[in-house]
Amino acid sequence: MSPTYVYGVVPADTVLPEGLRGLGPSGNVSLVADGRIAAVVGDIPLDRPLGTRDDLVAHESVVDAVAGATTILPMRFPAVIEEAGLVDELLGPNEEYFLRALADLEGRVQYTVKGRYEQDVVLREVLEDDSELRALQERVRTLPEDASYYDRVKLGELVVAALEQRREADAAELYERLEDLAVAVAAHPPTQPEDVIDAALLIDRADVEVFEDAVEELGEAWAGRIRFRLLGPLAPYDFVASEAVETGA
Amino acid sequence: MTVATQRAGGGGGHVERSGGGGSSGLADVIELILDKGLVIDVFVRVSLVGIEILTIDARIVVASVDTFLRFAEATNRLDLYGKGKGGAGLPDLVQGMTESGSKGKTTGVLEGAVEKVGEALTSRSEEREEAPRRRPRQRVREQEEE
Repeated sequence: MSPTYVYGVVPADTVLPEGLRGLGPSGNVSLVADGRIAAVVGDIPLDRPLGTRDDLVAHESVVDAVAGATTILPMRFPAVIEEAGLVDELLGPNEEYFLRALADLEGRVQYTVKGRYEQDVVLREVLEDDSELRALQERVRTLPEDASYYDRVKLGELVVAALEQRREADAAELYERLEDLAVAVAAHPPTQPEDVIDAALLIDRADVEVFEDAVEELGEAWAGRIRFRLLGPLAPYDFVASEAVETGA
Repeated sequence: MTVATQRAGGGGGHVERSGGGGSSGLADVIELILDKGLVIDVFVRVSLVGIEILTIDARIVVASVDTFLRFAEATNRLDLYGKGKGGAGLPDLVQGMTESGSKGKTTGVLEGAVEKVGEALTSRSEEREEAPRRRPRQRVREQEEE
């Protein structure tokens, strides 16, 4: 039994970037090719479960470093198979599927854009718009902490609801703009009340500079109210359809 | 705070940038690689090596009493009336409030994301459900500083 870690699938003619460092004891990363596709593989530590911070970071850094050079179908962490099955079970039987997916994504990279409210600015807006909230805030302030518990929960609940209402309008506007810039957009539901958008965008490599400039403009236009973060270029994590492949086995 | 969030790799300065290849924060990495990507056992059930894996739920709960209290606190720290009036008579008090306010603001936000990470990386599956509430705040810092 020789377990092999699989980072992703690439075209067979891929040349791996130098300096890749994987999560195994050796850290080596190499290609195993079969037909027109290849798996990006490495070894794994056998004396402990996978899932440390370093494991996660190593997976991401290998996948995204390869994505900087070529199209890669990223595996979800952690992907481990028996070495003998690599060609016979993963690459061989699924060659057509992988080729199609690679062709769809060829010449494209993912960026992730996250937008979050400047908390104080937007909270101030919320309070200024709602006299009921201001009255509640006033009461909470005058009561001792123990006595104000339920009022504080209520206040927070109303504030969160007001933020969500604002988000709806702001996010719609932002997505409209982002959709013009991207080949495809995947929207993720916000996980915190002050989150406005969390969007994965598929961008043609040729348009990367234009896109980055456009995001910067967006950041400038919303400065003081929404703060943006841009991650990328990344592998197309959000654009490999895992549902579509279930017939592959 | 303002300085940190507006630091940019690109040059413009309004958008915080981080490239791929290990330069992202751990919370970002987790979102990318645990939630998305091809799932290998869809393809290869037979040869999957039986190794123990710490599964992680990268999602963060949106609405809870803790969240409400956090926002109530943030709201309470705002000084609506001091804004336009120049705060004669109040400056010291207001100053104190904004200082503690902005500190709370950032840690609150970060905590949500990092807490999950800390939990993911430090707890075994059986502890997972209880971990977030009991976890001391100190560990959050350790995760960030690494």
